[in-house]
Amino acid sequence: MFFPSSRPAPAALLLVFAAALAFAPLRVHAQTDDLPTVTRTYALENARIVQAPGRVIERGTVVLRNGLITAVGTDVAVPFDAERIAADSMVVYAGFIDGLSHAGIPKPKEDANRSRPDDPGNPPDDYAGIQPQRDARTMLDPGDRSVRDLRKAGFGAAHTVPHGRMLPGSGAVVLLSGDAPGAMVLRDDVSLFAQFKAAPSVYPATPMGMTAKMRQLYREAERRHMIEKMYEENPKGLERPPHDAVHEAFFPVLEGRKPVFFFVESALEAYRALRLQKDLGFPLALGGLEQSFDLIDALKGARAPLFFTLALPKEPKKKTAAQKDSVEAAMAAQYDPSIRTATYRDLEAERRNLEARRRMSREKYLKNAAMLHEAGLRFGFSAMDVKPADIHANLREMIAHGLPEDAALAALTTDAANLLGLSAMLGSVDEGKIANLVVTTAPYFEEKAKIRYVFVDGVKYEYEVKEKKAPAGGEAVNPAGVWSYVISTPMGEFEGTLTLEGSPDNLRGTLTSSQSPNPAELQNVILEGNELSFTIVMPEGPGTLTFTLTLTGEDFEGSVNVPGMGNAPVTGTRESGPDRS
Amino acid sequence: MKKQAFLALTLALVVTLTAAAQPKVGDVLLKNGTVLTVTNGTLENTDVLVRDGKIARIGQGLRAPDGVAVVDVTGKYVMPGIIDAHSHIALSAVNEATNPVTAEVTMEDVTNPYHIGIYRALAGGVTTSHTMHGSANVIGGQNETIKHRWGFTNPDDLRFEGAPRTIKFALGENPTRVHGKRGGGTGKPKVPATRMGVEAVLREAFADGQRYMEAWDRYEAEKKRNPRAVPPPYDLRLETIADILRGDVLVHCHSYRADEILMLMRVLEDFGVDKVTFQHANEAFKVAPELAAFGAYASVFSDWWSYKFEVYYSTAYNAAILTRNGVVTSVNSDSGELNRHLYHEAAKSQRYGGLTDDEALALITINPALQLGIADRTGSIEVGKDADLAVFDGHPLSVYAVPVMTFVDGVRYFDRERDPDDMRLFVDPEASLDDGAMISNDEHRHLHELEAAGDWLFHLK
Repeated sequence: MFFPSSRPAPAALLLVFAAALAFAPLRVHAQTDDLPTVTRTYALENARIVQAPGRVIERGTVVLRNGLITAVGTDVAVPFDAERIAADSMVVYAGFIDGLSHAGIPKPKEDANRSRPDDPGNPPDDYAGIQPQRDARTMLDPGDRSVRDLRKAGFGAAHTVPHGRMLPGSGAVVLLSGDAPGAMVLRDDVSLFAQFKAAPSVYPATPMGMTAKMRQLYREAERRHMIEKMYEENPKGLERPPHDAVHEAFFPVLEGRKPVFFFVESALEAYRALRLQKDLGFPLALGGLEQSFDLIDALKGARAPLFFTLALPKEPKKKTAAQKDSVEAAMAAQYDPSIRTATYRDLEAERRNLEARRRMSREKYLKNAAMLHEAGLRFGFSAMDVKPADIHANLREMIAHGLPEDAALAALTTDAANLLGLSAMLGSVDEGKIANLVVTTAPYFEEKAKIRYVFVDGVKYEYEVKEKKAPAGGEAVNPAGVWSYVISTPMGEFEGTLTLEGSPDNLRGTLTSSQSPNPAELQNVILEGNELSFTIVMPEGPGTLTFTLTLTGEDFEGSVNVPGMGNAPVTGTRESGPDRS
Repeated sequence: MKKQAFLALTLALVVTLTAAAQPKVGDVLLKNGTVLTVTNGTLENTDVLVRDGKIARIGQGLRAPDGVAVVDVTGKYVMPGIIDAHSHIALSAVNEATNPVTAEVTMEDVTNPYHIGIYRALAGGVTTSHTMHGSANVIGGQNETIKHRWGFTNPDDLRFEGAPRTIKFALGENPTRVHGKRGGGTGKPKVPATRMGVEAVLREAFADGQRYMEAWDRYEAEKKRNPRAVPPPYDLRLETIADILRGDVLVHCHSYRADEILMLMRVLEDFGVDKVTFQHANEAFKVAPELAAFGAYASVFSDWWSYKFEVYYSTAYNAAILTRNGVVTSVNSDSGELNRHLYHEAAKSQRYGGLTDDEALALITINPALQLGIADRTGSIEVGKDADLAVFDGHPLSVYAVPVMTFVDGVRYFDRERDPDDMRLFVDPEASLDDGAMISNDEHRHLHELEAAGDWLFHLK
């Protein structure tokens, strides 16, 4: 049972819930290290324990044993076999819960060789992205980078869904630990995932095609479900009911056992999902909702569990003249809603006005979570489209724009668990719950707070907290290794691989791209602190490309200068290298 | 700048721009204007009183009830809000071009209240648009009739409540090119490649719809006798076609040539469908008596043609010839630019065909209202109708006239005196001005979707 929602009576719900627990697979514990585990018992001593929002033990001990929280309090006996962790001045929270993402599911490679269907009006279901029968559980890879990154950001559990198009499959709740796919699963088949992602030039290729397809599938599934029930009761004299996996995947939704879980980006997508829900009557959950500030009332009426995106709009990379201005900040508040630009001489005023307007638009996104909270809407968070490393800063932005800290914590823990129907297992630091914890060096929402330990399912993950040295050029890094990169241009994205060899003071390397398979030699490679620059010459292309990159451990960001075209943003990710062996 | 002041300002702006607290119906007294009722002549020095979004009284010396604002329109002209019977504004996508028949898709699912085209239309006195599926398919999607309630972001708030369902058909070069030559963009060419093929697709679709309707009627009848009756497969496409056959959905057909116009009338007659509006219909003047005899409507351009082979045989007298032959005729825009001066388009038909003022104004008011099935609510200034009104500073058929105010349901959504440069509802928070990113996110997405369906389709007229 996914939701404690309106449909089944609470008693019935509890029964189903208990049954689900009873049949939950017994999971064999395993460490991710090669070393055998010394102990599965831990005691975090003398920590400030935030059991749940508003429920704090100023100085206490948490004991974890065999994957469960076995004791929490000020006067707790530490078992003899416990690894004792002196957590003085640290803060313990329940492990965070991600309400919707692809955590642990590697992104499949597009099959470029696949031929297009002869009839675009009637493509094969898998080509069109109509695959609700697929199961996230069968796609899990505990070694996927997303698991490591989300865990490092404090997340212990996630509702994860398959990649794909309109109907990619069913979601599962997983713990972000374990070394076998099956061992990650906490609950299987908890949602029917849907999104407005059209098929490439085949039906349904547009949003209205997708909504029509959804209506068609749902109503035909209702019909088949009815026939199926009739046949089960008494098959005599009835034709054998039609069978196919696509329609049957809707049966649990029709029976109210799992929701259609829509990922919606714009307000318009959200309205579309709500409209489908209203017409068809399915249980609905929503994730994403980046423009929910425009549909608060509609969301109130929908009574659907909400999982708000952890991503926030970025400031434009290319600074405008108005932004560069030293009085920039003051200008932002000078928006004149009634400006009329009469002549070209006033262009600068209009330009500043437009920039002020853009900033105000961004403010709405930053205030969005606070608005949901003020409207009395309970919500969790979705890590679908956020870089895990940005989550802490983004949460702080939301708090700076009015979201109370307790509400932010609730959205990360108790409310998320509640909305996902997992409160009995997750969401608070209480005896008997799964041992998912986050341990920080300071209250989590403070800027300086760093995550020191994350426990998932009783497994300890420790993170070094480096004291900030502050050399002007940034922290020294060794960029040797293989990096994947993406250049974003108006013509589309270009991908490829950057390979760096040698020592930091003597680097050489090559660059490949999706456009030309032949690696290009890097020239003028210079590393200063964490700033890397190099050039490559494209004899048949635009000439010399100059890359300027800022490295931050596993990622880089920067730009590439293309003669005659200006700068294009580049981002990259370390695939392998000496730092990671 | 202090943060609180900034936030207060933001809030004030949000309220002005998104009109969140704005009522959907208004009260107003328009005092002492020249009222062009269209259906009941021109009334000089006349007041129009609006209560709860409806026209409550028309007369002289009316008093404003307590709390009702008075707008002095002395020397100005008040006409019914203009109705554009063919538009593609306020849509996130236009063509589901992947199949020759896609009756099941509906534009009400892709209405985009953020589209700046709505405000621009208001600035041209247009209060209602018929937002249509494109012309890639023989049977495209269902269209949506919207009111221009600028500032509301919920698509439901723009719908013309109670307007009948309509559907887009398309004949001639567009569907034969998209499917007959290009196979819907990616696949192998398929029927229809010719005008004969278009007719065959129509007849086949109607025959399938008939069979579908019969199968469900049989099931409903059998269910009364047999509780274990098994319903036939559900098919939203055929159900929509069955709804056309039942008379619940009005046909609006993209067409140019006289022969194909006659063809569609024959097909519709064979299947008992009697409500049809021919859109574009540049050769309709050749078959005006036949159209009148059928009771078919025509929605045409004033003087737009020659953008492809089938549109060469055209005349600026089209609307006038049709009108004088008794065909209910409208002049439409099919364009986010042209819709801002539909009053000029109507005036051209007067210039060329010598229509009376009321006949010319009817082309953009009561006649499109009839074609969309909303004439009981809009299209003329009559007591009891919706207060969708446009105020001009001169006679709207004069080239010197400028629209100064536009009301929808008695709410003033456009006022030339309060018309700042930036009326956008959505501003991309990540766009740098230097990227030329004045296009909103949604329009990017919109363009992207069009591309997915074949971007050549967007400019199909």
